[in-house]
Amino acid sequence: MFRAALVDPQIARASRGLWGDAARRLRRNRPALVGLFCIVLFALAAILAPVISPFDPYAMNGSSLDAPSLTHLFGTDLLGRDIFSRVLYGAQISLFVGVGAVVLALVIGGVLGAIAGGFGGRIDGVIMRATDVFLSIPSILLAIGIVTALGRGMVQLMFAIAVSYAPTFARLLRGSLLALREADYVVAARTIGASRMRILVRHMLPNALTPLIVQATLVLATAIIDIAGLGFLGLGPADPRTPEWGTMLVDARRFMQTAPHIVVFIGGAIVISAIGFNLLGDGLRESLDPKLKR
Amino acid sequence: MSDQHLLEVRDLVVRFRTHDGAVHAVNGVSFDLAAGETLGVAGESGCGKSVTNLAIVGLLPKPAGRVEGGSVKLEGRELTTLKEEELRQVRGSEIAMIFQDPMTSLNPVLRIEEQLIETIQAHREVTKEAARTRAIELLTAVGVANPESRLRSYPHEFSGGMRQRVMIAMALALEPRVLIADEPTTALDVTIQAQVLDLLRRLTEERGTATILVTHDLGVLAGMADRVNVMYAGAVIESGTTDDLFANPRHPYTVGLLRSIPRLDGETGGKLVPIEGRPPDLIDAPVGCSFYARCAWRTDRCATETPALLPIDGGKGPIVTSGPAATHVAACFNPVAPEEVAEGRPLRRSGGATR
Repeated sequence: MFRAALVDPQIARASRGLWGDAARRLRRNRPALVGLFCIVLFALAAILAPVISPFDPYAMNGSSLDAPSLTHLFGTDLLGRDIFSRVLYGAQISLFVGVGAVVLALVIGGVLGAIAGGFGGRIDGVIMRATDVFLSIPSILLAIGIVTALGRGMVQLMFAIAVSYAPTFARLLRGSLLALREADYVVAARTIGASRMRILVRHMLPNALTPLIVQATLVLATAIIDIAGLGFLGLGPADPRTPEWGTMLVDARRFMQTAPHIVVFIGGAIVISAIGFNLLGDGLRESLDPKLKR
Repeated sequence: MSDQHLLEVRDLVVRFRTHDGAVHAVNGVSFDLAAGETLGVAGESGCGKSVTNLAIVGLLPKPAGRVEGGSVKLEGRELTTLKEEELRQVRGSEIAMIFQDPMTSLNPVLRIEEQLIETIQAHREVTKEAARTRAIELLTAVGVANPESRLRSYPHEFSGGMRQRVMIAMALALEPRVLIADEPTTALDVTIQAQVLDLLRRLTEERGTATILVTHDLGVLAGMADRVNVMYAGAVIESGTTDDLFANPRHPYTVGLLRSIPRLDGETGGKLVPIEGRPPDLIDAPVGCSFYARCAWRTDRCATETPALLPIDGGKGPIVTSGPAATHVAACFNPVAPEEVAEGRPLRRSGGATR
């Protein structure tokens, strides 16, 4: 602690820039590395699903409810489909819908937050009261409502989850922008006559993005759980055969007594991916925040 | 008096609306600035120095702060009524500012290059290449070694003095007519301070830039300023050429300020004399002289009447507001007599010297 105060970190070591520093701090953070490992596992499963899955996830390849074996690593479900292959393809869906939803939420929330925080005044009030309304509705309930209204389907699912997360991003960005409005370099940019738009885009947004990156990672974890949750409630992809984790869990639930391994494997996949994003998100928060420099 | 000054500030009034009421931050400040002149502004924290400057460039924090009266004219052009877009054209290209803390006045995520080029391109239709060439010239002018490679650096790779040099380069990038330097060296080491001040003086002299130098360091003013305005509680209470003011201070507050700093030529072991009391709460509208509560020279008249800025010799001639022959003026009914300055207290019964 004292040494940190005495030795100016900028003199003590050659600078690697913001991202270099952050990466170095991240490498020292063990939980974050575990999280990163989980995510890599999850992403590889999703991307390489067509290559590594031994069977067609839609086809019947064995007898019903087989126990795990060398042929069927995770066993088979009621219809004799290979659960290992279905979990891999399920990762694809979770990753696709989850990332899509978070990116969409980032765009919607980011634009609204930038307008509110950057311009202030009446428009700020209107946007913030609107986000209050959305935040007062439980996100899963809001998502159920949107899927019910728009009909089932992957795109609808993505949109529903995006809408329920967008207000959080809007608030977060607005908050950091407000804090930056009085920052010396923003005032300095104004005194040299930079335009409002330019100050917002070039000076304020890049400095306000860090909390958004962290939040996006954390929200990805919740998004994966929400997707499974909506699937569990029967609001997943329109085609019931789709290997979506939540939908699969509903089917598997009925055989919890006789074939508990199915629930364990599917649930395990959900847990690993969600924990992965959570750990990485926490690690990112620590490594991107210069105040926590160690 | 010349027909037109470069910058004319007249009866500027700035109020901040707060929950506790309106803060009377600036109460009728007037001064002129001639081309090429350096005007020092002295006064303790919260006396309205910085607010006056922000009001000149229309950058008071909104919506709390507002110019509620008076005028600011740059080469005869009224600035207080300009639209934001027109004001934006003035800022940077005609009036530039340098702030106190060079550590936080540069954007940490942008390279020096981008910030310098941005400044140039905000006002001039030039190509990026031309702006870059200009940026290298500027860095050379402010004494940054290896300007070409330093352009690619981020602010955190510069030391404090170097950053203030970069800030000066940015401020002078567009050859402004007026440069407002708000405590430019307060955050720097004393040795670096001297270098930066030398640089500032050399560059503004070369370019004929008029400078408003705000500082609470009277030593800096003595070395840098042609004229000095002493401010107290949102008003100029004494003004004159630097030589006049330091040799012959007349307002009790100016005397107090001068006595509260150490002197090299004074007797050893002498004590520094603080000014007793605290500045008035600016939430209440001022009645009478704002220095009344802390003043040893006060009379009953000071409690009810507000003294005007008048020539100290009581002369009837026209008041010269700029240049080396500027009239020494003070806002005091009962000014300090020359023989009282060293004592720091009135040497008379009461009433004393009148004018």
